[in-house]
Amino acid sequence: MSAPLIEAENLAVRYPDGEIALHHVSFKVESPTFMAIIGPNGSGKSTLLKTILGLMKPMRGHVNLMGYDSEKEHSKIRRLVRYVPQRDRIGLNVPMKVKDVVLMGRLLKKPLPRLASEKDEMIARNALVHVAMEDYWERPFPELSGGQRQRVLVARALAGEGQVLMLDEPLAGTDMESQELIVEALDQYHRDNDVSVIMVTHDLNPIHTLVRDVLMLKNTVVGVGTPCDVMDPALVQKLYGPTAKIVEHSGHRYCLTRDTGADRHD
Amino acid sequence: MIDAILLILESPFIQRAIIGALMIAVVASTSGSFLVFRGLSFMTAGVAHAALGGAALGLFLQASGIAPWFDPMLGALIFAVFVALVTGYAGETGIGEKMEVAVGVSFALSMSLAVFLMYYIPPVQVPSIWGYLVGDLLLLDNLDIVMLSGTALLLLITTILFNKEFIYVSVDMEGSTAHGLNARAYHYLMLITSALAIALATKAVGAILVYAILVAPAAASNELLSSVRGVLVAVFFIALISQFAGIALSLSVRTSPSAVAGILAALSYVIALQIKKMRDRVHIDEELEELLKMDANEAQHVHTESHAHDHEH
Repeated sequence: MSAPLIEAENLAVRYPDGEIALHHVSFKVESPTFMAIIGPNGSGKSTLLKTILGLMKPMRGHVNLMGYDSEKEHSKIRRLVRYVPQRDRIGLNVPMKVKDVVLMGRLLKKPLPRLASEKDEMIARNALVHVAMEDYWERPFPELSGGQRQRVLVARALAGEGQVLMLDEPLAGTDMESQELIVEALDQYHRDNDVSVIMVTHDLNPIHTLVRDVLMLKNTVVGVGTPCDVMDPALVQKLYGPTAKIVEHSGHRYCLTRDTGADRHD
Repeated sequence: MIDAILLILESPFIQRAIIGALMIAVVASTSGSFLVFRGLSFMTAGVAHAALGGAALGLFLQASGIAPWFDPMLGALIFAVFVALVTGYAGETGIGEKMEVAVGVSFALSMSLAVFLMYYIPPVQVPSIWGYLVGDLLLLDNLDIVMLSGTALLLLITTILFNKEFIYVSVDMEGSTAHGLNARAYHYLMLITSALAIALATKAVGAILVYAILVAPAAASNELLSSVRGVLVAVFFIALISQFAGIALSLSVRTSPSAVAGILAALSYVIALQIKKMRDRVHIDEELEELLKMDANEAQHVHTESHAHDHEH
């Protein structure tokens, strides 16, 4: 049997400002899966991703990805992962073209001088087709709308190589069309390829029917299970407060909150 | 006329000024552009003023006899690297705002040190500190040219070899690290080589004008052009032409070549903003017309559909 996708044991991490982001986090998720990490703003969702990638260090405990320890074996983890950071972490001062951004996903894992082959270009163009951005190949990336930029970043992940796709709030602040395209592209890609998807989101609803495992975080684990398991009134109120409600639609349970998804903790 | 030009070109100080201008254009095109890309243009001013503090320290150590071998330029380079390291440390997570503050603090510290040391430096040597503030292309000596050229070429080679890595670090430091790039190493390499080149360029054009010549052309080109290569080439030519114009003018009128170059380079940014505004105005007309056409097509489509629908009934 292959190693679990993520295995955390008694994990505790601090934010850069000193506040405790995660404490007593223990859970295990098997691979391959489409997994969502949900929780309100400042609940440590992005911190968990960054800790898994070795970008932040645990104070206590440990977390493994595909059996590799986040601290000692982060170079092995980084070879496996394609990561999409929150959109506002992408600098817009550089006049990069859409193609450069998508190719970045492939070239970063190549040795110097990181030249793009015809195959790289073909894969990158194909990834853009998945998010309906193929006509933007030569367009300047900073001039795109927020939703379009997010679609290009998802294409960057799709074009890359590695068994695990990690996306930090890919749907935050995007228009309806972009949301649907991103969700559909990720679902399709997950089904067609042997890859796991880990997605941090403040809103489970757009991906409710695709996700297999959900981790509810509020600085510690509130719940782990299938989407319908965790859509329990007591659990969502524990996560989002007393105003959170569960509604049923087409045989699925959805959560209604007033969360905006803006998340900042530097 | 041609004889006069040839005579001027034969003079060693003009030759040095021309080579200096060429090298500063290389520094502007590489370091200036990337600092603008990273939203870190202020580091140019920070490093230039820190170099002044370092030069003051060198003069003090020489004059006081503590370390007679300590060249003021060595002090300038050490302080420049200090600013790069502090800035780099603050920006390891890739957040520009933190780096701006770090530049400000290290800049203030170096300047304070320069002013502090000025009381202990023999008064006859104080003007040479001020020389770093204003600088002069026509006063460069052979050693200055050798050092400036060496560093500019080092910067050029580094940028040619690692331009992709520098771009990735500027655009998405976190993502680059997560994909396995040693982003930290490239981050420091970019800042330190830039700092060394800026410190040497400061000697030629002065701490105040180095900002105009290194940053304004890059900011101007970045407003108008939509490719990295385009920006680098445009910056090189704007910086070079501004400086050559400065040198040429200083030969016929009594003026500082660096000041003229600074004014021209800074003007390039103002002109770029105006061109961008005009371009946006033209584009908005085109875009509005496009939208109007799309709306009309849609209305036509709805009309035909409802017509077909009526027909069915």
